[in-house]
Amino acid sequence: MSGRSKSIAIVGTGQTVHARRRTDVSQAGLAREAVVEALDDAGLTMDDIDSVIVASGPAMFGAVNQPEKWLVDALGARYKPVVRVTSGGGTGLAGALAGMNQIKGGSAKRVLVVAYDKLSEGQLQASISTLYDPFWGREFAVGIMGFSAAYWHARIKRLGHTEEAAAMVGVKNRKHALANPKAHVKKEITVEDVMASRPLCWPIKVLDVPPISDGACAVILAADEDALSITESPAWIHGMAYYCEADNAADRQMIQSEPLQIAAAKVYQDAGITNPFRQFDVAELQEPYTCFELSYYEGLGLCPEGGAAELVASGETAMGGSLPVNPSGGCMGANPIGATALIRLAEAAMQVTGKAGGHQVPGASRALVQAGGGWANLRGVAVVGSEKR
Amino acid sequence: MTVIHQPETAEANVETMDWMAAQIKMPYTLTPGQATGIFLAELAGRRLIGSRHGDELIVPAQDFSGTTGEPATGFVEVAPVGTVQAFTTGATGTIGIILIDGSTVPFVHQLLGVEPEMLELGARVEAVWADEPTGGMLDLAGFAPLGSAATFEPKDDPADLAAAFEKVDYTMTLDYRHAYGPYYGTLFDGVKDGRRIRGVKCSACRRTLLPPRALCDICLAPTAEWVDVEAVGTVQASSVVHIEFIGQRLTPPYVYAEIVLDGTSTRLIHMVGDVDPDVAQTAAAPGARVRAVWSDRHTGSLADIDHFELLPGDET
Repeated sequence: MSGRSKSIAIVGTGQTVHARRRTDVSQAGLAREAVVEALDDAGLTMDDIDSVIVASGPAMFGAVNQPEKWLVDALGARYKPVVRVTSGGGTGLAGALAGMNQIKGGSAKRVLVVAYDKLSEGQLQASISTLYDPFWGREFAVGIMGFSAAYWHARIKRLGHTEEAAAMVGVKNRKHALANPKAHVKKEITVEDVMASRPLCWPIKVLDVPPISDGACAVILAADEDALSITESPAWIHGMAYYCEADNAADRQMIQSEPLQIAAAKVYQDAGITNPFRQFDVAELQEPYTCFELSYYEGLGLCPEGGAAELVASGETAMGGSLPVNPSGGCMGANPIGATALIRLAEAAMQVTGKAGGHQVPGASRALVQAGGGWANLRGVAVVGSEKR
Repeated sequence: MTVIHQPETAEANVETMDWMAAQIKMPYTLTPGQATGIFLAELAGRRLIGSRHGDELIVPAQDFSGTTGEPATGFVEVAPVGTVQAFTTGATGTIGIILIDGSTVPFVHQLLGVEPEMLELGARVEAVWADEPTGGMLDLAGFAPLGSAATFEPKDDPADLAAAFEKVDYTMTLDYRHAYGPYYGTLFDGVKDGRRIRGVKCSACRRTLLPPRALCDICLAPTAEWVDVEAVGTVQASSVVHIEFIGQRLTPPYVYAEIVLDGTSTRLIHMVGDVDPDVAQTAAAPGARVRAVWSDRHTGSLADIDHFELLPGDET
């Protein structure tokens, strides 16, 4: 970023206790829970907030259209600008980017971004099938799972990956989740367990799949001196970008995600990253299925194309390795889709401010964040650091 | 639960192909939250419960005040009596916005036994209860002109409040008419009547785009001419589906496939059939050659292709 533009930081984060089903709160109450925690973390009240961005998945997940209107009551956001941002699995990061732009543009000083989904209430995969073009594909749509499995299969064939490599991601992230108090799936598994688990959409098997969760996350954004007046340790955002591609574009191969590569190049330039594997201390990458994390390693330049299986097998992306990926457990610990991307950003902020507790990467000062929707088509990247840039 | 996608049942448009009918039907189990959950549960006992938020009383009870965002500090049993603040009459009856006595926030419900032309703003009404409670908002059937309902001062923190409903079943059914437009229209006219698959050629890069469209994605040049595409292609990606997906015709296991027809530059989403699921992992893998098998349906959709079959011994 140029010296003249504002440096924006995360000054507070909050998450619900995620669960398979939260019967004690409505969708609005769930979102509120994360907001209360984020405000407490920042030492602020809603009176201090200029603008609210609500991020959630497709309205069909929860049967409430325009849910941001409903959330105003629970958030105490009456008479504030409140808008909703939605962009598939990357929704939370797209919401954070919108909040950053409001501050950069000067329309707000402090923005609350709250992201949530209460997936226990609807039909996840069937809802996702309605994202398909009604003329071109919806008749044969098999949610995101069958589609992702198909392109993982193509990657296996092209790159010589194995199902075991993805299984290692599941083993690693589930182990990490044991130390995260917000995760709700806490069970250690082995590669053999994954390989022996029931195929759902082969090559995706039961243990390649994260839980379906109810959960919310909130972050509060502020800039420069204002951020430092709120907290001594803001998590400075060194760069953030979000890109998409065309669904029926010509020559679309989906072996690599071009939007991911474009977003990474943009953000790395803004953040001064030339050797991502060496320069990051920790990464939070949104892996809706285990195979996604492998493709991100390559798209984010953490290894060469085709090198992801080798990288996960090396143990370098596990806790104790040189670049721990998903110390929170990632989606394998909890996956409230609309909130998941913002959880990745919040976890990165916690890491670089030393607030990650039992899953803290010691001394982490610079974190990589990735989030997105679809197998390849919506991708966001962010870099967060303890030093202002 | 169903997501129906069935142009064959569309009643009127089969001849004109102007639009395709689709219906999405989704069941939900919604969570009302504590306060609204208690309000709903108490209707069976014919009590109206509001929530107290400082000086504010909200009926039906809410978890949070829209004025301050504050959570409920207690519950209140209110008299089942209120005032009509607004109303409208449609084909299915009269709907009113009703402010329960003592409440600061009005809500919408049915007005029963009213003559709309006689109804005035400010009319006093009382709750009408369902004969047999079924466990939902309609256990409070609506409101009717005030008769003998007991009015009383709100009773704070009533004893024996029912446990909050944790789940409310709900189904959303949405009917759509999707316009084909000129490009899908021409494509699916050909599919339906002539078993022709037609794409468009870009005027600049000469790629054949399927589905057809007005502009090329790559060079943004207009597309120029329609071209027939043979229903033979190569699997770009495939997975073996072992679980049931709503709205799918096939019984698992089957092969989901993204297929690029020969000469085209974009994928077509379909299924590979007639393949043993045990060998599908390799036989129908990316690179496999496939050919469309037409069904006896003539609906003007991709479902007119029953499935794709493997071409033997021709893997690229």
